Amino acid sequence: MNEQTEQLYFTALSDAVLNMEEDTAINIAHKVIAEKIDAYRAIERGLVDGMNRAGKFFEDEEYFIPEILLCSDAMYAGLNILNPHINREHQRSRIKIIIAVVEGDTHDIGKNLVKTLLDAAGFEVIDLGRDVPPSKIVDIAIIEQADAIALSTLMTTTMDGMSEVIQLLQQRGQRESFQVIVGGGPISQGFADRIGADGYAPNAPAAIKLLNKLFGKNTYA
Amino acid sequence: MNDISPKIRLLDALNKRETDRPPVICMGGMMNASIVEVMQSSGYTLPAAHDHPELMASLACAIQEQTGFENLGVPFCMTVEAELLGSQIDKGTLECEPKIVKEAFSSTGHVVFRDLDEMVESGRIRIVTAATSKLVQTHPQLPVVVSMTGPVSTAASIIDPMIFYKELRKNPAGAHRVLEYVTELLIRFAEESIKAGATVIAIGDPSATGEILGPAMFQEYAVRYLNILTSAIHRLETPVILHICGKIERVRPLIPQLLADAISTDAMVNLGKLKEDYPGLTTMGNLSTYALQWGTPEKIAAQTEKLIEEGIDIISPACGLSTSTTLANIRAMTQTVQGA
Repeated sequence: MNEQTEQLYFTALSDAVLNMEEDTAINIAHKVIAEKIDAYRAIERGLVDGMNRAGKFFEDEEYFIPEILLCSDAMYAGLNILNPHINREHQRSRIKIIIAVVEGDTHDIGKNLVKTLLDAAGFEVIDLGRDVPPSKIVDIAIIEQADAIALSTLMTTTMDGMSEVIQLLQQRGQRESFQVIVGGGPISQGFADRIGADGYAPNAPAAIKLLNKLFGKNTYA
Repeated sequence: MNDISPKIRLLDALNKRETDRPPVICMGGMMNASIVEVMQSSGYTLPAAHDHPELMASLACAIQEQTGFENLGVPFCMTVEAELLGSQIDKGTLECEPKIVKEAFSSTGHVVFRDLDEMVESGRIRIVTAATSKLVQTHPQLPVVVSMTGPVSTAASIIDPMIFYKELRKNPAGAHRVLEYVTELLIRFAEESIKAGATVIAIGDPSATGEILGPAMFQEYAVRYLNILTSAIHRLETPVILHICGKIERVRPLIPQLLADAISTDAMVNLGKLKEDYPGLTTMGNLSTYALQWGTPEKIAAQTEKLIEEGIDIISPACGLSTSTTLANIRAMTQTVQGA
């Protein structure tokens, strides 16, 4: 198959994600496999490209939460089909991020957005979900030998849990093992500095840029 | 000249009448002031007070007496409605507010529509109304604010929000059906609270922000059902305070469409500017809860002064207070308004 025809499939996958068309993403992903197009490139140039475009729409406030959630559904639907077909050479070691909403908070929309964009950006993400006790976050980060811990909260009442995570890391002599980043509605750079976090991001796309910066990449695109 | 009661002052502010100074209140619900310091010194504690009308009333009184806020506010969470509608609730601890452990339904299509008359008599609505009656009897000079969860937030607390938000776009008919149902329940909750003597109904709708929904869906879902609820409360001659979370830039032009008598906003919103742009609006807010938790009394007093100078009609915290906020800081806020 020539490059131009392949590109048509990639564009169709990208558009399916951007246009929130889960069924289309599934159909095209199946065709990609049937046509023996490289699955890794279909993910990178198709699904991830679509999610990056959706992320840009989100930054520009053309898309909001409902749209971005539907885009990410389409991306994951395509990924489920294409992932098993990736060549081994592409299964490089990736930066591992633990992500969680701290204890007491059951809001996890922002966290889920960050997770989706991290997946799209090629990070390995371990999602601990919402309402997670600080000790559990630290335990799993250590066991998994993660590179970074990303914490989110939407409520002022649960911000203390973030500093508890950092204190626990210090107590166990593990503070230097992880980059810790924080975000969510009530969080600010000032708060991040106060609790000794490595970074703060005001929204999901900014969180990806922050991690890329901390780990020495330029952009997530 | 301080013979005007806090109740009259708040009602005057909400009715756009002149007041000697702005009231300083804390609406309760998601924005309650049940800080650990008050609970420990009064002995009226959470989570017990979520389930007992006497305790709920006593804690509301203790908060008012110790903080200086010029109202009594109940309940102390935003899970009354979700629990009644079938979601699994963790009542939390002294320091941590109740939360939803598991939403009742997996999608709008699975929502079981129950009889509203029956529901009003069950769950914690009766605890809130009993506490309200008691507070009204013991404190005729103080406004009793009953706080409720807004329609979109209630719906998003009985259906997994990640699914519900998608359905707002993918399945508008299903989303509207659920929103009509929860709005009917909220209207009944408001009616029972007003029968019990509530002076004001406050609505917090944290899941229905402009940031989350964007302008089109904010209009279609948030404004629409908030206004249905507000109109029903107005028919009972009771004013409504509405708190909107988060940034409001994208939905700013829609704010004047909201029928609530006062609009309360988060700390990042320039409330003075909002008032300047929409002079008809009664504004409430918006002292940073971050400052209240971490700031000094001097800084808080200065920020409060600024809100007063900007002509904010009702002074209040901008968001939910952390339970570790100190009384000294809250008093710095209330006493600045009271000119003490």
